Amino acid sequence: MLSRRSFFLFTLPASIVLGLFFVYPIALTLQLSFTNSTGVGEADWIGWRNYERIVSRDRYPEALWTTIKFTLVVVTVQTLAGLVLAALLHRLPAIRNFCRAALFTPAMMSFVVVGYVWQFIYSPFSGGLNSLLRGAGLDDWTWGWLGDPDTALYAIALAHIWMFVGYTTAIFLAGYANIPDDIEEAGRLDGASSFQRFRYLEIPLLAPSFTINVMLSTIGTLKTFELPFIMTRGGPDGATRTLSLEIIDQLFGNYRFGFASSLSIIMLIIVIAVAFVQNRYLRKRELR
Amino acid sequence: MRPISHLTALSALALCFTTPAFSQSVTLEVTAWKGNEAEPAGLPELIAHFEEQHPDIDVELNYIGRLDTDTVVPPRLQGGDPPDVMMTDMPLIEVWGIAGLLTDLGTDSEWYGRIPEELQTALTYDGAAYIMPLEVIGMGNFVNMGLLREVGIEEAPFTIEDLVAACGALSDAGINPMIFTGGFSAPLFLIANGIEAGEVDPATLGSGDATFAEDAGFNTGMDLVRQLMDAECFDPETQAGLDPWSTALAEFQGGNFAMMPQGAWNITAFSEIEGLDFVFAPIPSSQDSGVALDLFGIGWSIASGSENQDAARTFVNWFAQPEQIQVVIEAEAAYSPFDDGASGTPDLAAPYDAAREAGGIINYPFALLQWPKPLEAEIWDSLTGFLLNPDRGNAEVLERWDEAVEDADF
Amino acid sequence: MTTAIRQLHGVLVHAAVLALVLLMLTPLLYMLTMSFRTGTEIAEHPLGLPTELAWENYTRAFASMNYLRSVANSIGITVSVTVLTALFGSMAAFPLARNSTPAARIFIMLVALGLATPNFVTITPIFVIFRDLGLLDTYPGIILAFTALNLPLAVFFYVGFIGSIPKDLLEAAKLDNCSDWQIFWHIIRPLLGPATATLSLFVMLMVWNDFTYPLLLLTDREKFTVTISVYRFVGNQNIQPDMLFPAAVLGSLPLLVLFVVFQRRIVAGVTAGAVK
Repeated sequence: MLSRRSFFLFTLPASIVLGLFFVYPIALTLQLSFTNSTGVGEADWIGWRNYERIVSRDRYPEALWTTIKFTLVVVTVQTLAGLVLAALLHRLPAIRNFCRAALFTPAMMSFVVVGYVWQFIYSPFSGGLNSLLRGAGLDDWTWGWLGDPDTALYAIALAHIWMFVGYTTAIFLAGYANIPDDIEEAGRLDGASSFQRFRYLEIPLLAPSFTINVMLSTIGTLKTFELPFIMTRGGPDGATRTLSLEIIDQLFGNYRFGFASSLSIIMLIIVIAVAFVQNRYLRKRELR
Repeated sequence: MRPISHLTALSALALCFTTPAFSQSVTLEVTAWKGNEAEPAGLPELIAHFEEQHPDIDVELNYIGRLDTDTVVPPRLQGGDPPDVMMTDMPLIEVWGIAGLLTDLGTDSEWYGRIPEELQTALTYDGAAYIMPLEVIGMGNFVNMGLLREVGIEEAPFTIEDLVAACGALSDAGINPMIFTGGFSAPLFLIANGIEAGEVDPATLGSGDATFAEDAGFNTGMDLVRQLMDAECFDPETQAGLDPWSTALAEFQGGNFAMMPQGAWNITAFSEIEGLDFVFAPIPSSQDSGVALDLFGIGWSIASGSENQDAARTFVNWFAQPEQIQVVIEAEAAYSPFDDGASGTPDLAAPYDAAREAGGIINYPFALLQWPKPLEAEIWDSLTGFLLNPDRGNAEVLERWDEAVEDADF
Repeated sequence: MTTAIRQLHGVLVHAAVLALVLLMLTPLLYMLTMSFRTGTEIAEHPLGLPTELAWENYTRAFASMNYLRSVANSIGITVSVTVLTALFGSMAAFPLARNSTPAARIFIMLVALGLATPNFVTITPIFVIFRDLGLLDTYPGIILAFTALNLPLAVFFYVGFIGSIPKDLLEAAKLDNCSDWQIFWHIIRPLLGPATATLSLFVMLMVWNDFTYPLLLLTDREKFTVTISVYRFVGNQNIQPDMLFPAAVLGSLPLLVLFVVFQRRIVAGVTAGAVK
């Protein structure tokens, strides 16, 4: 136990920084969300009107739904792919380190670079993917990947997964490293096949890695706006307009700071609720 | 580029240690989304010329893209570290001017009196003139005459009938008739034709006093778009999500499409493409002349927080002289915003010029603040959606516009 | 299974997994090859190899991006943010790991909230605060903003880490009449090395790759970080491949080189940080 005075003094610098650049801004955002502020000049208090507008227009629930779809796809595919890759690499020690590093490399790049590169890969005429398909004689498969609302969101999700699947794999591999050797050995002696060991031994023992992976990727994906911002600007026809991108657009495209603030508050509530529920549920599962 | 804060610190030092005469040399920071390699707009040479004539003023041109201007400049305007002179357009004036961030250039200046009355009204915001206009630029139809001649057509289409006939002949010959991207190109066509066919002042649509969904003009416009689809002018599905700023331009340059609604600022770049034989024509409409969709584009504004008001004014007034404007509008293939009627368009824009002279001018409503800015994005989105699902009724598309108008005014 | 078949099976599995992993690397190779091709080459043959290396792509990007300066900025900001977050974070974590008073619990909850909050939620007010404090477009401003963004993570790290330091050690020090500050500085701080190394990795990735803060808080080209230089150079309209790809390569190069050299430690550090 530290004295009150020490407690106060030790936490003071962090409190100042967090207070000034985190707590106070959130309070201000909350306040702005009840105004029609344009970011410059005076603003009027307009009560709940921003929030009423958000629920009464299809546009905003649709943006929320897009965000949820994006997050579900990314988290599911990334976690499963990471798990399978980790299970394979765990069984192949000779190439494990090389592959882990190779898969991890894209995570060292920025959203800006990844967004630009994949935008060009998907570009309809001179882009890499369609050229490859044409080269392979699959002309019918060429597609305006980012230009079609049915595929645009998934195309972006793929770029996002490409970027972070190595991270997921590395966390699962760290989880594997924590599985005691004798448990695996016992499984092998019992004559369990490789797949049986994976299904009945490893998956349950990897529960903590699941928790971390799912939580990290959920929060990371929910709040991301960078890839859609760079690759499609939310188009075509709003198919990739996530809630966070909507906020950015309202802020800096339309100068509707008050309105954007109310969207931000909703976003914040959703992120915190999801993080809370996931944490509860996954931790409970771990204990079983 | 030296940061401005150093400069103010330097000049403060100079004030302390030397006689005032020494500190008279001023550095103006000017931001613009033109003046770079891709769109020089004559600015580098003009600035050099200006500095020659005003040895006491140094000009630093800082290129900031238009979209980035929205995010990058406001914090500086508010943060007390503004650029001295900024390139602006009316949507920026609306936000910055009302907040007192810009200097009122006054309606008594020499150049203000030379602005034609209609534009004058549009530019004057609450009795204040915050912008010195540099150009009015055309938005029309780029036509690859090489491809049209292949099917025996000698003239760019002016009317819808011409256009439909050209589309038929081109697609029969296996040539893609038109780029009609859901963003930008399709909206230009629809806005031009909707306003032309309509009977109300576009401003009433933008204020919500009349609705797009019930407007005869825009319903006609939507039907015209359908007519173009039926005439196989374009494949709506591939055009819907095409990027108007990169892929579409490259495709037209590559000679893969015969026509493309776009802005005249592309003329200079297109002219450099070898073997691309094109003209800049008005947007085909039911009127014989076609529609010249004029965009009041850019101008100079002075930050009210600038410490170099006099030098900034000297700079702005200097640009208002006809010989300077001429350099800008020639580089941009634009028209003078002043009443001398000067034009900077090359011969290949003759069809567009003709439409202007025949009285076919419609002002792009966003540039004059007749329509709220968020509506622009909504029009692009809704037309992209429409091209993907042409079965959607007019009302389904146009009601979204009305909603955007409603959302914009609170 | 006979040994021969088993061996063959093993080779095949290895080869298949390797092929899959290499497939994942193709976008990187694509980026690299494209960066050496001219615009016309790409337009004519979207997939070919460079006929000759178009170094002019790089000289142009290098100059227009103000490359060395922006790399120096990223390094300087990373180091400053790491030092500040490590110091403030470990200081705050010390009492938080030891005390379980309501104040401590509220603080921890606040930190958890900070971990989940997207940074653009607070960007509008941060504008206003920065404006009033004169921090816009300054190094101290961007450093403080990043520090605030990383501080919750740092506190979390250090609370876990300090919590695992044996209590006896600290009790003994207390009996020797050490002040709290002396305990922190002479006993705890030297033990925090590994946690700080991990933290600095996260800070580095964040500072090098974040796009929101520098886009909105920095306007002077001389202060740009690498990522924002890439964005400003490539732009958002009329994107040219012969500008995009060299900028992408230059923008990723410093971290990729660092990664190739220290890959094992970086992967271990970042995963360990996440697992804790």
